Amino acid sequence: MTRYVLGRIGQAVVVLWAAYTLTFAILYLLPSDPMELQLAAAGVQPDSLSAGQVAAIKHQFGLDQPIWLQYWHHLSGLLRGDFGTSLTQQVPVSDLLAQRIGPTLLLSVSAALVSLVAGSALAYLATFTRWTVLTRLPAVGASFPQFFIALFLIQFFSFQLGWFPATGGLVLPVITISVLASSVLAQVLIKSFEETLSQPYVVTARAKGLSRSAVHVRHAFRNAALPAMTILGVIVGLTVTSSIVVETVFTREGVGKLAQEAVLSQDVPVVLAVVTVAAAIFVLVNLVVDLLYPLLDPRIAVSGAAR
Amino acid sequence: MKFVKPLAATAATLLALTACGSGADETAGAAGSTLKVSFWPDNPSFSCIDPFQVYWIEHRSIIRNFADSLTDQDPETGKIVPWLAQSWEISPDGRTYTFKLRDGVTFSNGKKLDAQAVADNAAGWIATVKATNGAAFGASYVQGLTGAKAVGPLTVQFQLSKPNSSFLQATSTTNLAITDPAEFRSTPAERCAGKGVVGSGLFVLDHYTPKVETVLTKRAGYAWGSDLVQNKGEAKLEKVVFNYVAEDSVRTGNLISGATDIAWPRNPFTPQDTALITKSGDKVEKRALPGVAYALFPNTTAGRPLADAAVRKALYKAIDLKTYAQTVFGPDYPVIQGAFNSTTPHFKSESAKLAYDLPGAQKLLDDAGWTVGANGFRARNGTELTIEYPITAFSAGAELLQAQLKQAGINLELRTLTTAQQATYTTEGSYDLAQTYFTRADPGALQFILNPDVANSKALAQRSASPAVTKGIQDLFRKALETTDAAQTSSSYAELQDYLIDQGVVFPLFERLQNAGVSDRVQGFAFTSESFLRLNDVTKS
Repeated sequence: MTRYVLGRIGQAVVVLWAAYTLTFAILYLLPSDPMELQLAAAGVQPDSLSAGQVAAIKHQFGLDQPIWLQYWHHLSGLLRGDFGTSLTQQVPVSDLLAQRIGPTLLLSVSAALVSLVAGSALAYLATFTRWTVLTRLPAVGASFPQFFIALFLIQFFSFQLGWFPATGGLVLPVITISVLASSVLAQVLIKSFEETLSQPYVVTARAKGLSRSAVHVRHAFRNAALPAMTILGVIVGLTVTSSIVVETVFTREGVGKLAQEAVLSQDVPVVLAVVTVAAAIFVLVNLVVDLLYPLLDPRIAVSGAAR
Repeated sequence: MKFVKPLAATAATLLALTACGSGADETAGAAGSTLKVSFWPDNPSFSCIDPFQVYWIEHRSIIRNFADSLTDQDPETGKIVPWLAQSWEISPDGRTYTFKLRDGVTFSNGKKLDAQAVADNAAGWIATVKATNGAAFGASYVQGLTGAKAVGPLTVQFQLSKPNSSFLQATSTTNLAITDPAEFRSTPAERCAGKGVVGSGLFVLDHYTPKVETVLTKRAGYAWGSDLVQNKGEAKLEKVVFNYVAEDSVRTGNLISGATDIAWPRNPFTPQDTALITKSGDKVEKRALPGVAYALFPNTTAGRPLADAAVRKALYKAIDLKTYAQTVFGPDYPVIQGAFNSTTPHFKSESAKLAYDLPGAQKLLDDAGWTVGANGFRARNGTELTIEYPITAFSAGAELLQAQLKQAGINLELRTLTTAQQATYTTEGSYDLAQTYFTRADPGALQFILNPDVANSKALAQRSASPAVTKGIQDLFRKALETTDAAQTSSSYAELQDYLIDQGVVFPLFERLQNAGVSDRVQGFAFTSESFLRLNDVTKS
């Protein structure tokens, strides 16, 4: 068991490091010069400076160092909890993150909860009633682009009915994310329900005289839910990535919008920080799921120990 | 029914979310005299709220309402009128400006706004220009300024090294708004974030959170509105919240549904949005922004297609400015008439030279040896006539322009840039036509695009014209600016406006109308001479 836990934690660390390194590499391959961006942020046109001034500025920000050294400085700074300074806003990245993470966490957690409940309810209903319409609904929900759902919801609930605000509110963004996330969850759950319901023990249970609903909830649901646990990590990841589109359309000041702005203006330290934090959350959720598995299904811990 | 349980849970969660969502909305709407203004996104590369350094026009609108200037400018006549200064005198040599200040004016922190404070501002501006290598936007307003001194408790004298005919107008702008000089103890970057920025305006800057919101609160005891406003006393609004909304449709929709009071886009509303707004009973206010029009500047570096004067001439004839204005912004939209918008003082119409003449364009190109190939585009010596046109967040109607030029056999290549590329492409020179503009109620504005000695982008200025033409432009600016003779200023600016088109230096595309969608609950809306927002008379019912 200890080996299983340690293995999972080690894997998590490697994934996190890989995400960070890959992002760093991609950002430094981009065409624009980070120094020019920094100058633009200070209102200075690079062409108004002499070669000597440019060299001095490059030196000041460590941009004249070889790439691997810059990478090492960034990484060691990160390990000390120092995310650096935003190139375009000239403030510590940690301040920006602190300001923006609250709204995104609220949005993500709410959306994950709603998706969990709505997705499970839909899967339960679909398999219990065996309505084809319900079984196919998740495929429809998973197919709509999120910006389309968002604009549709704004048009209808904000502009026509005036129930919810189009900017800054929580309800419409949560619904937008949940449509996709709950559909994905429901698709997996329906499939595993169908598999579970065809198992011999279900037939046995029915033969013993249990009602269909009793079998559905006591025997099938618990077993069918297990594969869906894996999806939980994906759902949480989905709510984080969705926040980029959703926060932009709904003008919610969260990490998603911060990421969108930072990517477009090539604000390298901000992008690195957002990716690292998002990856850390994703990795953490998956780790928790992995660690919960053996508790829910003893077979997994046994196979882990046998390795 | 066993499935009732999860269903009920879903419903409960949704209800809980609904409750907290609408609750938040109600608190925001409860304060009746809070005005909500929605801008397009904040400046992606330079977040700033410090008057002297800001070039972003939305933020200049905000500054106008928390920081006053020495003078004000009448939007109708362009005349300079008293504000913090009750009167002024310009010495015959045009190098000394003496202002007599109004008594009893204080900054919102209680400090006196007297002659010494104004003189210290002048010192602060000059220091800021130095600290930013001349890049601070305000540098363009203080050309030749060497300093100022208090010659009496309320009399202050500005000293210039050479005459600058646009200096008096400069004192009316937001960039030369007078702030508590203590702010200059902070670095330019700190001031951009709002640190120490304290004005004497009818509102107080409460906070600026870049890309999120800017909030102003009412200044108690305000009593020195300029001659141009009805209400010279305290604001009739308690609070003004400016936010930044990325989606045009959401900004307009928020206005129509009542979630915001003023929708303030950068480019004018589309005809569809204008129709939606007026249909709902709200109003679209418009005024042309004074200064340089929405214009394209050529890259005339040798080897580039626009180095050829014939191609530049043909470009004027191939662009149908009237159709462009009507298609992109609606049937009654004004057609651009020259390098400057029509609200700029000394404006001269160049319509005749900008007239659409497709056969004329084709003939010019034929004569210059550009022949039409099989694909419909022209070529000379095996090189296709391709004009690289970078698309930025500011672009409008680029595809229409492309279609118009195609008629003349010119291939306008659209290249969409990211925000990061937008900040650097002019320096790199990877363009044939670059779009820019400059808002100021004085033609002198254009020298900060075209005069390499003072331009915000030296690279763009140098590429826009040959050295000989650049010298011609500099000479005309010098004649217009370094004088105290108003007639000479006017005639030099008229000559300049002809010269710019004759030499193919500026390709104006459309008159920049500042639009504002104003809710029917808002009364007293007004534009300043620079087409910024003025809130002195605004009330909200």
